[in-house]
Amino acid sequence: MPAASNRRNIVGVKAETVTNVSSTDFPGHWPGEDHSWNIKHFRRTFRVKFFRNTPLFSQFDLIHTDAAIANTLRRIMIAEVPTLAIESVYVSNNTSIIQDEVLAHRLGLIPLCGDKDALKGLSWYLRGEDSAPREPTDEDTVVLYLKKACERNPDAKKTDTDPDKLYINHNVYASDILFEPAGRQIKSFAHDPVRAANPDILIAKLRPGQEIDLTMHCIKGIGQDHAKFSPVATASYRLLPDIKIKKPIRGKAAERFAACFPKGVIAIRERKDGEKEAVVDNVRNDTVSREVLRHDEFKGIVELGRVRDHFIFSVESTGQFDADEIFLSAVGTLKAKTINLKRDIYKMLRKQALDARRAREAENPDADEEGDAMDTQ
Amino acid sequence: MSATGSQREAYQPPAAGSSGMGRSYVPAPAGTMFYLCAECGVKVGINKGEPIRCKECGHRILYKQRTTRMVQFEAR
Repeated sequence: MPAASNRRNIVGVKAETVTNVSSTDFPGHWPGEDHSWNIKHFRRTFRVKFFRNTPLFSQFDLIHTDAAIANTLRRIMIAEVPTLAIESVYVSNNTSIIQDEVLAHRLGLIPLCGDKDALKGLSWYLRGEDSAPREPTDEDTVVLYLKKACERNPDAKKTDTDPDKLYINHNVYASDILFEPAGRQIKSFAHDPVRAANPDILIAKLRPGQEIDLTMHCIKGIGQDHAKFSPVATASYRLLPDIKIKKPIRGKAAERFAACFPKGVIAIRERKDGEKEAVVDNVRNDTVSREVLRHDEFKGIVELGRVRDHFIFSVESTGQFDADEIFLSAVGTLKAKTINLKRDIYKMLRKQALDARRAREAENPDADEEGDAMDTQ
Repeated sequence: MSATGSQREAYQPPAAGSSGMGRSYVPAPAGTMFYLCAECGVKVGINKGEPIRCKECGHRILYKQRTTRMVQFEAR
């Protein structure tokens, strides 16, 4: 939470404008203040707070960091955390009305789950050249199959019109996809086989005589390549809303004031003298709808805003990994990327220095000796 | 689509024993091809030289069945 006196990190939300949008905590902006990057300062101020943490959904706050960092983490969660998804579909028979291509696409989008450690242990499948494609192995490919044929139900009454009674196997669900472990997968996925994370996804509808018989190869990939590899359904953040009441709002006005906000945002407390007063209770519930700014009676009394360095993340997993795990893995990816960047920058600087020295030596070969002579003097 | 192979194989009548389809009700004699009747949808087995005609309803339009050869697709 920002200190009351410190309004620097508050984005102002006015009736028709948004003010004070950019952050100002960088060197040279505030005279006499040192805002250079300092790991000690960051360690002291930065905080992560979890509010909800279930396997499929987690909501947490990143406090006192920059929008650049928050957005990087969001983007990495969406596009760069690897997951397993169906990549190739080998159709032996498909006489359903849904075309092979469409069926393959639908199958690809089904979220899979299974033993998490075994999934993380899978290696990348390298496609190889067209002339020399690489054979899939038990380390990089998971094989699933789906076989279902629809028949008439012999016990159905003549008067029945309900497809559930007339036919057998007329709905193909994601739970019909079965796992065929190969090699060491038999052991690693023994307790938690690969399967659809949501068993009730309807893949296709069949009628008597129609049949689907196919084999699928799943590989590890990232969301950058295709959305089916994205581990999150949504990963987003918003800034913490901020409501500042400048003058006490009492009596009937307090109730009208509370009605301008979603439930729980404004509480009405009874003062010692028995009068009711509006106080800010839970700003997280606020949607910053600006409804309050439309009422003349609250003009100048209330200031709406958002805290610029307080990010409320909500991460919804598709089911392969836990939501908090996805965030942690995004942090790991970011760290790896910064290490690579640092190494490359050093490499570039070294090369620049070397080039500059070579250029100097080429210009006048005695320069170095002269320099040495100068040093000794 | 990866289904279109460059090499076209010549037609080979299915060998005895493997009738092509997963379930065969009667052991089909060699050279029997199965078609679907356009009228009643029944599976009709037709031998070489036999008239093109449904054995159930007598309809003369028969459809060729979908290939059971494997076809590869990208799930994208």
